[in-house]
Amino acid sequence: MHPPRPLLLLGTVALILSACSAPAPRHGAALDPPVPRPSFTLTSTDGTPYDFARATRGRLTFLFFGYTNCPDICPVTVANVAAVLHKLPFEDQQRATFVFVTTDPARDTLPALRAWLDHFDKGFVGLRGDITQVDSLMGMLGIPPSIRGPATGPKGQYEVGHAAAVLVFTADNLAHVLYPFGTRQIDWAEDIPRLLKVRAR
Amino acid sequence: MQWWCSASGKPWTWEPQFYPGVWLAMIVLIVAFGILARRGRALGESRLVFWSGWTAVGLVWQSLDWPLGPLAAGYLASAHALQFLTLALVAPPLILLATRKPLAAAVPTAGRGRAVAMFLTQPIIAGVLFNLVTIATHVPGVVDTLMPTQLGAFAIDLLWFSGGIVLWWPLVVPAPSRAWFGAPVRMLYLFFATLVHTGIAMVMLVREFPMYGIYELAPPWEVWTPIEDQHLAGGVMELAGAAVIFGIITVMFFRWTGGVAGDNAPKAPPRD
Repeated sequence: MHPPRPLLLLGTVALILSACSAPAPRHGAALDPPVPRPSFTLTSTDGTPYDFARATRGRLTFLFFGYTNCPDICPVTVANVAAVLHKLPFEDQQRATFVFVTTDPARDTLPALRAWLDHFDKGFVGLRGDITQVDSLMGMLGIPPSIRGPATGPKGQYEVGHAAAVLVFTADNLAHVLYPFGTRQIDWAEDIPRLLKVRAR
Repeated sequence: MQWWCSASGKPWTWEPQFYPGVWLAMIVLIVAFGILARRGRALGESRLVFWSGWTAVGLVWQSLDWPLGPLAAGYLASAHALQFLTLALVAPPLILLATRKPLAAAVPTAGRGRAVAMFLTQPIIAGVLFNLVTIATHVPGVVDTLMPTQLGAFAIDLLWFSGGIVLWWPLVVPAPSRAWFGAPVRMLYLFFATLVHTGIAMVMLVREFPMYGIYELAPPWEVWTPIEDQHLAGGVMELAGAAVIFGIITVMFFRWTGGVAGDNAPKAPPRD
């Protein structure tokens, strides 16, 4: 016995639709409208200019602003994303890029940035630029600029107030979700495969 | 003022912190234990048992106070596991051992007090209560909600210690006595009453991602990652817990078989 024709048609349409649209991420804050992948060039840890839009186009890209002397949010955020990326199949790992832009260029020299990122993943990209350049980039993305706090430590150490969110750009070159601090590894593990399914436009 | 160790979210510092609530709780425990343990000594309790009890009081103190207390409250699941072992499995039996004689004498012999004592020290009830406490205080949602507050962290510590006292009472304190609760049943009781904590330890060992948000999102501990810390916590609960439980069951077994053999051993004929 064959299924009725309208049912067959409906099933085919549903199949086509499900193949076109990727499942929506379950965590983070939805960005409406989505943020387009920005175009900017900063210096990468090997000293060469890094054209963000060109280097990451079509790739799942995590963009995070922070600083290496950050005592809590930055290391936890980077470590959590790294821990989950490391558990992905190799092919999926190759489709993702993590970009860390320092909000403290005064202390984060390129070697310091590289050494810090290497604790988490040797493939993570570290970028450094003039603080006004970084702040205007953050403004362009709708992220509040960083604020350098007063020196509190005996050696003049200071903290840098900065947005604690990860902006994730998918293959369609848009960021649909912003992940705030507090996103757990289990949340990333649920969402990253979904984000990887977003197709290029 | 920080009265009790709780998850603060601040980076860890080796600068000692003072927790007045912990000191107050320890004063209460020290005074209560001191009075009861002295009575126990007067009733013939050995010097070894007496000092073991004081060592257990010291262990309770070190697990609640700086540095283990705050580490367990907001930084390391492994420190929290160590705290659970100390508060629930190691200190209560030693404290009860040193005070068992005055405690047994204090159990009412009639009336409602007797009924309450009979109910709470009934091994099945005690085992169920201990396991309910163990499960409830290890549920991630409960831990993540309670540990950031001083009252919540205090509640967990108090529940562990009270749960430990309830668990060990039927084994250590001779009153209320139950004829059916002999050595083989006691061994089975200890084995089954501590199975749940072994199960929780197994879950911690095999989980792919950190279970507890407070430890995962805490300012990082340089030595190990949150998942390594969780595996260590599971290992501590599993191995150290098993060492305590099976160590005691082994002692109970040899005492029992020794006693049985002694009772059944053929007696020498009386000499004229």
